[in-house]
Amino acid sequence: MSVSGVRKDFFHIALFGLVYIVLAALVSNSYYLLIMTIVPVWAVMGLSWNLFSGYSGLISFGHAAFFGLGSYLVALCMVVWELNPWITIPLATLAGGVSGLLVGIPTFRLRGHYFALAMLAYPLALLYIFEWLGYQEVALPMNREAPLMYMQFENPFYYVLLGLLLLLCTLVITTLISHSRLGMSLLAIKLDEEAAEAVGINTLYWKLVAITISAALAGAAGGFYAVVLLVVTPLAVFGMLVSAQALIFAMFGGVGTLWGPVLGAIILVPLSEILYARYAADFPGIQGVIYGVAIIAVILFAPEGILWKVRSLLRPGQFRMLGSSASVADFSADESLLAVTHDDKNQTILEVSDLSKAYGGLQATDALSFKVRQGELLGIIGPNGAGKTTLFNLLNGFVKPDKGSINFQNKALVNKRPNRICAMGIARTFQVAKPFTHLSVLDNVIVGAYVHTSSRQAAGQIASAAIALVGLEQQCDLPGANLTNKELRLMELARALASKPSLILVDEILAGLDPEAMQEMLKVLQKVRALGITIVIIEHSMQAMVQLVDRFVVLDHGALLAQGSPEEIVKNPTVIEAYLGKKWLENA
Amino acid sequence: MGAMYGLMCVGLTIIFGVMRVINFAQGEFMMLGMYFAYFCFAWFGSYAFFDGLWFPFLLALLAGPAVFLVGLVLHRLLINAVTGRQASQLEAQGHYAQLVLTLGIALVLQNGGLFLFGSSPVSVSNELSYSAWEWGPMIGERVSVFVNQAQTVSAILAVFVVIGFGLLMAKTRLGKSLRASADNPDAAICMGINVDRAHRLAFGFGVGITAIGGGLLASNAPFQPYIGTEYVIIMYAGVVLGGLGSIRGAFLGGLSIGVLQQVSAIILPNQLQNTVIFICFLIIILFRPQGFFGKKDRTA
Amino acid sequence: MPESTLLELANINAGYGGPKVLHDINISLSAGEFISVIGPNGAGKSTLFRTISGIVRPASGSITYKGSNLLEVEASRRAHLGLAHVPEGRQVFPSMSVLENLELGAYVDKTGIEFRQTLEKIVSWFPVLGERQQQLAGTLSGGEQQMLAIGRGLAANPDILMLDEPSMGLAPTIADEIFERLIEIHKTTGLSIILVEQRVAEALHFANRAYVLEAGRIILSGNPAELQNDDRIRQAYLGM
Repeated sequence: MSVSGVRKDFFHIALFGLVYIVLAALVSNSYYLLIMTIVPVWAVMGLSWNLFSGYSGLISFGHAAFFGLGSYLVALCMVVWELNPWITIPLATLAGGVSGLLVGIPTFRLRGHYFALAMLAYPLALLYIFEWLGYQEVALPMNREAPLMYMQFENPFYYVLLGLLLLLCTLVITTLISHSRLGMSLLAIKLDEEAAEAVGINTLYWKLVAITISAALAGAAGGFYAVVLLVVTPLAVFGMLVSAQALIFAMFGGVGTLWGPVLGAIILVPLSEILYARYAADFPGIQGVIYGVAIIAVILFAPEGILWKVRSLLRPGQFRMLGSSASVADFSADESLLAVTHDDKNQTILEVSDLSKAYGGLQATDALSFKVRQGELLGIIGPNGAGKTTLFNLLNGFVKPDKGSINFQNKALVNKRPNRICAMGIARTFQVAKPFTHLSVLDNVIVGAYVHTSSRQAAGQIASAAIALVGLEQQCDLPGANLTNKELRLMELARALASKPSLILVDEILAGLDPEAMQEMLKVLQKVRALGITIVIIEHSMQAMVQLVDRFVVLDHGALLAQGSPEEIVKNPTVIEAYLGKKWLENA
Repeated sequence: MGAMYGLMCVGLTIIFGVMRVINFAQGEFMMLGMYFAYFCFAWFGSYAFFDGLWFPFLLALLAGPAVFLVGLVLHRLLINAVTGRQASQLEAQGHYAQLVLTLGIALVLQNGGLFLFGSSPVSVSNELSYSAWEWGPMIGERVSVFVNQAQTVSAILAVFVVIGFGLLMAKTRLGKSLRASADNPDAAICMGINVDRAHRLAFGFGVGITAIGGGLLASNAPFQPYIGTEYVIIMYAGVVLGGLGSIRGAFLGGLSIGVLQQVSAIILPNQLQNTVIFICFLIIILFRPQGFFGKKDRTA
Repeated sequence: MPESTLLELANINAGYGGPKVLHDINISLSAGEFISVIGPNGAGKSTLFRTISGIVRPASGSITYKGSNLLEVEASRRAHLGLAHVPEGRQVFPSMSVLENLELGAYVDKTGIEFRQTLEKIVSWFPVLGERQQQLAGTLSGGEQQMLAIGRGLAANPDILMLDEPSMGLAPTIADEIFERLIEIHKTTGLSIILVEQRVAEALHFANRAYVLEAGRIILSGNPAELQNDDRIRQAYLGM
């Protein structure tokens, strides 16, 4: 990301702060000032939720747990030890972060539905525990004699300032994160976790980092909330409505954006507060109804939030892009950045022995053994259902074998996670292309380049070299979702190259291409090979492969049917039978 | 108690089993069932004809069809937009949207309930609620077991409803089409089954059955509109314990949770009863997400 | 013989939102005919079936079935008109019994009276389904599941049976057995069959007519015996 993008965001943040202060200074009604204090608190909660769920795609219904812990920590420290909030709010932030980490470690083993349910249970369990401990209502002691020290001001304007300060800090943190490797990794995880893992992102690690920061922010918001309201009850800080509000503000405004959660809080908090103040007597649940209706409407009519909706109305046809849009492409970069050197051409780079994997009754891979030599281009062929893609899933760690071993450069691969295997030097593409749809082509490839560098500059260079190699310079600012089939496959190849692999697994990269595009693709593969990278390619049809590969491995029913040079293979009767059927041989 | 939890869990699991949707608003449908029983009881209870002890139980059973209709309407208007075949175009197969949408429905029902029904706890009760059969004395001369009569009748009814529904799912053409839609939606379309309609019915049945559970529970304990949130976790605990999507598992799971809650009441303070359930729930979900009574979920 | 044309696809273009998978497809099927559609992986064979059974909506073109426009009929209604689709990869209902799977095949037959007779015939063609009636479909072997999927397709007494790669992932002897059964069914009942297959030789051997699909276009069509000797097929598959 260009420095200018960050600067632009910082400028907007400063401008927003200034406008907010001026508005607050113009308001004298203390009730409205209270609302103006609460808005930033909820905006921070929304941002906190967004930082985790909006970027990673895992929905948390449990942010109340972190918020509540922050609130109670501030309240109880003041009651018991008379600690002032200047100490305890940072402590609450820390406590939030730690609890986020503790929640994340076991809970990230779960996916989808299970994750959402487990997250729901944490705050509710805490709610009852705090009730049982006898903290049904903790009032903060008054310390009017030292207002600055205890954050107990006569003039509500100061609360607005503090709330705003908290919000501005959160906005700055969010900006920095969204332009960093963390932000890119999280977006990649959200858009396609499997592909993210395969391009070398340690998904578990980044998710833990994200929930820790997110929970820390929630803890800070909770701590400040306690100071503002002066009284803490379990339902008010651990209740489902707290988690729901965090989620609703973020989703209402716009998921995965900097300003969405802020916008959500600015619209919904005053609306519900004012209506509540006016109609609470007749309609006690009006706040919940407003939030409920707001979120239902958003899901049905603007599922990405109103910010995206407005943007797409203003500029129709523009695609929703996440991540950084400013280009760091530098196509003067040298292809040799990607080159692999190896001393011995005939050395074995990958050795598969006795590899087996069964799904139910189906033996997808059956005692398979073969070797790949350094620098060669090996074709793996076989009819539909022969177990080719399962083999790749075994090689890159998506699937664990029932038995057998895989050795890559003399290191065992079995039981290693895909991101480790990618970092060791095996990259892959997918049969059904898996682009990160809402990232630009360049960002798609940069995500892959982070495997060996954490600097955005260096990653940008490697990515540019990879894009130049496959010839996608013109498309580098297009979103992944807008590419043609051929461009998608080239982009996947570039993304795989960016992790500087010594071995690339290429899965049916020619499928669905017309003859012209196929020739182009074959040229690119030759270029990749010229860099010294070993290629293993799966293809169903043998047509194009015959001109390309050095050697074939033929699979049928998960087992090795034949291997040898293209000339040998096309004359091999067992291969012809597997492809064209027994009757073909009889008739021929 | 356990049998009623079991019943509610069955309702929830049907929705998940057929539609693969986590319904956060399930507790609120239970609440609707409770209030249905309460208001009918309040309106008709004064007529002599309806004065019988059986009346609250009949109302509980009627809550099923009433909430079933509410479920059909909500599915058609809202839920259908983010589930089934429509969902494949959404991010993450629409899980995101489904969870949040049902959360929104939960908030509206809960707080709308506050407006319509008031916040003070109410209950549907008659003499049975206060009378108990005494079993005993057992274990020497000291200990007797008291069994609340209203709870016993409710439990028996709950078991009947579950068995009835189980037969419906196992034997009828309708039940088979629902199970087929759950098992393999694409193939179900090839068979000529209208999968959208199957989802709508499943949602209706699911919320209806949970509402019967709620209606039966209404004659045992006082309740208010916020009761759903508490129960939605209890229900999920039961469903997860039994293995998501399995009817038999859900009933047994709910039963176990109910028993667990009652047993924990003997040794633990009141407030911690639910915490025990939540902690059990977390332990189950973290270490054995496929549950104890069901087979391994293929999509987990 | 235009009056005996049962199903006709004209200028069909279709895809999944992104690039088109099928381009200008024209296929016709007469009553009682057995046609094969062959072509390498990714040629669009399964998409073709998904378009006919309504799971995929074509971008343009028309499908006429028994003289009326099939595109106006909702996907789940098409099975009620006599179109039976046996999808690729078997797609049985794994947690239901064999008998229940077959009953669901006859879902369109509300009374279930005809089904009883059909069931007898299905069991006579595939005796293993009779022996394993109560077993869960998910526990059958691959070949048995394929037989079940075909049996389920036959259960509603369809006018057209669409078979998508019945030999996929099966050992050759089992695939042979299934093909022999199919030809027997075709001959005894006169059922119209569309077979999509990658085993070229078998697909050509059994069919009255065949189409060759490559990269979403029909590149060849006609008499199987002639196609058998066409070098272009060999080229498409073996590259030489």
